[in-house]
Amino acid sequence: MSKRVVVLIVAVMATGMLSALLRAQDEKWNNIPPGRAAYNGKKPSGPAPRRDLTGIWDTVQTLGVSGAIEHPALLPGGRGQEGGRQDETGIAKPLPYTPAGLEALKKNKPSGPGVRQVDSVLTNDPAGKCDPLGFPYMSTWEFRTINVVQTPRQVIILSPFYGNYRVIWTDGRKPPSDPDPRYNGYSVGRWVDDYTFVVETTGMHAKTWLDHAGRPHSDQLKVEETFHRVAADTIEFTMKFTDPVMYTEPWIAVNKLPLHQLPPDFDIPELLCSPSEFAEYNNVVATPVLRDPPKK
Amino acid sequence: MARKLGIVALTVGWLAFPVPLFAHHGAASFESGKTVTVKGTVTEYVWSNPHVLVKVDAKDDSGNIAHWVCEAWNPVTQTGRGWTKNTFKAGDEVSLDINPAKNGQPVGEIRGRIVINGTEFKQLPQ
Repeated sequence: MSKRVVVLIVAVMATGMLSALLRAQDEKWNNIPPGRAAYNGKKPSGPAPRRDLTGIWDTVQTLGVSGAIEHPALLPGGRGQEGGRQDETGIAKPLPYTPAGLEALKKNKPSGPGVRQVDSVLTNDPAGKCDPLGFPYMSTWEFRTINVVQTPRQVIILSPFYGNYRVIWTDGRKPPSDPDPRYNGYSVGRWVDDYTFVVETTGMHAKTWLDHAGRPHSDQLKVEETFHRVAADTIEFTMKFTDPVMYTEPWIAVNKLPLHQLPPDFDIPELLCSPSEFAEYNNVVATPVLRDPPKK
Repeated sequence: MARKLGIVALTVGWLAFPVPLFAHHGAASFESGKTVTVKGTVTEYVWSNPHVLVKVDAKDDSGNIAHWVCEAWNPVTQTGRGWTKNTFKAGDEVSLDINPAKNGQPVGEIRGRIVINGTEFKQLPQ
């Protein structure tokens, strides 16, 4: 075999090996969680560790595009996605608005699929201008994949979607009595048993939305979350809202939503909101497709 | 209208196309139950939030060019469907099935078959 052929073969083999190494290197990053089908027939994973929520947890793709998943702003059968309504009359699972709540709802113009949807460039959704989502909006919409870190005094929830994070104090402190409003509120949590962690959050900015359907809340909102670790690899997540200013009774926004554990080396992709990227998108897409442009 | 928009092959299919769960905006601006096929040359591929964009110059039978903007979801969601920042490049010849804008502008949501330089691009299931 000539020297030239040998050199060529060695070069091809080296290139192949290098490509394989680079692929293996790249596979460590920007991981994509399994789809729903991967959890069909999911086998029991055994007992959960006690008083421990540590890990990377996934809800299986995005959620809540039509509002809180227990109360989507849709008519029966999922109809009504195209908007055009002022209120939510006729939706499959209506909410108990007070008169003030209904007035506040009408001021919010959501862009997600639902009975009150508007063209995306007309929305006043804080998310549409990259304002902080705040809590609980960060959990009722695009929950996706979170990273839960636990210290002796805190449970910290990191969410790459919009760069959200929350700190839940577990040192026994009480919620503040008259807090300065925060986008993410003030959270305290406790274990009610070895596998159930309950969180109370108050003190949230009234200007944030509850969900992607533009449901409003007042500064009196109290959010109760329950993280029930039912197995080593599964948490059931429940969220309840109590806001007597906007709603005549408490309501469940998320009910035992499974959070599936992902491997500890799972790299969650970044998905941040950039005002300049949004402005460019509005310029190139959202404004040109506006159905009723304002007259000049 | 088709000639004006430079759609070489106009395929209108009245599909019961459900809006994917991860739509952060829905059917207000786009015809979610209608599909047209845009064929042309990629001029720009924008791998960015809030939507990945594929810009296509499509020529009609008269040789007039329409500048289409075809949007997909955000990069993270698209990665889950098998896309990468290199899936398209300027100069690629493509055929994209889209839901068009209701107001007739050359803008659409990529919602169906994708062909790049003669080869169908098979997306991963949602």
